[in-house]
Amino acid sequence: MSSFGSEERTLLNDSARQYFESEYSFARFAEHSAQHGGAGWNQQVWRECAKLGWLGVAVSDEAGGAGGGMTELAIVVAAAGRQLALEPWCATCAVALYLLEHAQGEAAGAQLQLAMNGELTPVLCHYEPHGGYARDYVKTVAVAEGDNFVLNGAKTFALHAGHADRLVLTARIGDAAGSLCVLSVPADAAGLRRTAGAALDGRHGASVTLTNVACPRAALLYEPGPDTEAHVQRALDRGALANAAEAAGAMAAVSEQTVEYLKNRQQFGKPLTSFQVLQHRLVDMSMQSEETRAVVMRALVAMDCDAENVQEIVWQTKMLTSRAAQAVGAEAVQLHGGMGMTDELAIGHYYKRLLVCASQYGDADWYAGQLSA
Amino acid sequence: MFIHQSELDHELEAFRAEVRGFCARELAPQTRSKMDLGQHLTQPEHDAWLKALGAKGWLAGKWPKDHGGLGWTPLQAAAFQEELGKAGTPWLVPFGVTMVGPVIYTFGSDAQKQKYLPGIVRNDTWWCQGYSEPGAGSDLAGLRTRAVRDGDHYVVNGQKIWTTLAHWADMMFCLVRTDPDVKKQEGISFLLIDMKTPGITVKPIVSIDLSHHLNEVFFEDVRVPVENLVGEENKGWTYAKFLLAHERVGVAEVGKFRLYLGYLDDMLKQTREAGVPLAEQPAFRTRRVELDAQLARLEALLADQHATVGENSAPSLMGAAALKIRGSELQQAILETTMDVLGRHGMAYQTDALLAGWNGDRIGPSQSAGLIHEHLYRRAATIYGGSSEVQRSIIAKGGLGL
Repeated sequence: MSSFGSEERTLLNDSARQYFESEYSFARFAEHSAQHGGAGWNQQVWRECAKLGWLGVAVSDEAGGAGGGMTELAIVVAAAGRQLALEPWCATCAVALYLLEHAQGEAAGAQLQLAMNGELTPVLCHYEPHGGYARDYVKTVAVAEGDNFVLNGAKTFALHAGHADRLVLTARIGDAAGSLCVLSVPADAAGLRRTAGAALDGRHGASVTLTNVACPRAALLYEPGPDTEAHVQRALDRGALANAAEAAGAMAAVSEQTVEYLKNRQQFGKPLTSFQVLQHRLVDMSMQSEETRAVVMRALVAMDCDAENVQEIVWQTKMLTSRAAQAVGAEAVQLHGGMGMTDELAIGHYYKRLLVCASQYGDADWYAGQLSA
Repeated sequence: MFIHQSELDHELEAFRAEVRGFCARELAPQTRSKMDLGQHLTQPEHDAWLKALGAKGWLAGKWPKDHGGLGWTPLQAAAFQEELGKAGTPWLVPFGVTMVGPVIYTFGSDAQKQKYLPGIVRNDTWWCQGYSEPGAGSDLAGLRTRAVRDGDHYVVNGQKIWTTLAHWADMMFCLVRTDPDVKKQEGISFLLIDMKTPGITVKPIVSIDLSHHLNEVFFEDVRVPVENLVGEENKGWTYAKFLLAHERVGVAEVGKFRLYLGYLDDMLKQTREAGVPLAEQPAFRTRRVELDAQLARLEALLADQHATVGENSAPSLMGAAALKIRGSELQQAILETTMDVLGRHGMAYQTDALLAGWNGDRIGPSQSAGLIHEHLYRRAATIYGGSSEVQRSIIAKGGLGL
């Protein structure tokens, strides 16, 4: 449960919006985009946000965080999403920090502190080749050998895993039918090979193969057990919800920009907004963006209150948001015409960001399948 | 309703087989492998293929025999295009053979026919289309590029945008304003411009797929001989409309959609969820049959068009517009489904993999970069060649009389 009052939330929202609007111009984004040869994130922004206390905004007071909930984190993530920020808000702050905060192992506490300070970037690598979006498909194996675990397996291309210095890995103990455990492994561990590359939206990621990677027992964040499964599920739900919040921010921004563009674009001697058919499409687009904000808010409340059916609510939210993200992104390009197709304009980048958000942690059809199973 | 004859045409089937054989034999292996991976072709690679079609007479097979064509029926022309599409051969660049060629042999002078048509038939000349301008998109007739008569030349000043392959082109067919004082459609002329003329600057536009297909073209006191005017001065809009009808049919490339569906099937087989190929998942199987049915519908619409229009006449605007709308929408739907599959590989987009000879480590299936590129580029399918909005207005006006 969040300790933030509504005034503090408003303050957080205002300062996050202000920060990203002033620090994250589109030119800044383009400079750091991995698709343009940049690093795929902006280390300086990350450090500054750490100083502002935003990286650990959803970490409890006792663990050294700001004591907010998912809602507070989502406020920051949405503000970042509006400006196409490239940093690992979802992967690190919503997912990896949660797993570190609730870990059983003692090593986790120190990593959590470093991560909140922006000095260590942990990223969860969970999904596996041939697993698709299936959450329980983990074939990576951790075998105990003396004082060590030895890891073998592979992980699908995950955002930010390319520049993460710590990988949080899910694995099964003993063999592929074993129970789930979670380990935190240095990204430069021997036998750990990353194939790094740019993601569609200019962020940076990597797929991972693990070949006899030896790590000490202290690397174990979660022992096998029912709690472990539940924490991994919750971490993935947080990832899905944070992505929905990011998409909500991006959708709001791109809808506003599209309305502005059509107001100013003259064809047939009048602004495009004077055509009723285009007005209605702008309305539909803006409605989808508003609905997304509302449905994400509903899920944030559910998660921060730990509602009984929180998972169902998050899954509905991700399903709806993924569909809306694809539709709004495509409509923004279409309504911009040729201009929407250029790399030089932000619109196409919103389209690509929204596609990535739609697919992260499961797309609309996958959640529909889960909800109907 | 339902009155058209429909019989299996054995001659047409034999022709299809001949085209298939040609594609299998004549496409250079390096080009074939690049096409399979969705990699960028160089101009010489692309040119070699179009010249092979040209040498066979097929490039302009749909043209009347008098002008260097083979006098194919619309049905045969469609079958040709479909087989090329299914075979995954390089894009049949339409600017010469489908667009300016028919304008020249319909409205051009004898001198223009002699000078330009052979180069189009053999693909010795690469053409580009100078239509859109920064201020003239949907409202194409609002174009502002000026051509002012000066002795035996026009002096052209202005700018074109979204000019596909201008950087490869030898010639541009261009709409210019020759009379600014009349109704906007009545002051437009159709000029043929040599791209090497001093004063022309081609500036690349990188599109969202991070590739260079599109350009801006700037004209600064570009002197174009008056003999390069097609038809009459200020009648250019008539020729432009004639050409747009041709362009729209070209956009419904049903053969290529079959190819796309084939790639989608590959991805569905290669991509697994919880260890099970997506090809076996009910949800994807449902989407897949929907796409199949939509393609069948598009093919039916196309066949209906061919049965309706007379030989050698341009298709009705209404039908052409409907084909353009449905074709571009289906193309996007297939590629969106493909993207939904590729999402399971994490959405890496390795643009280096679009270059031949790249030896880096691939992330995800080998075709994924090519398919993502295609998806992004075809976002424009509902924008270029007359946007879906423009097409709907055409149907509203021309088809429904609204």
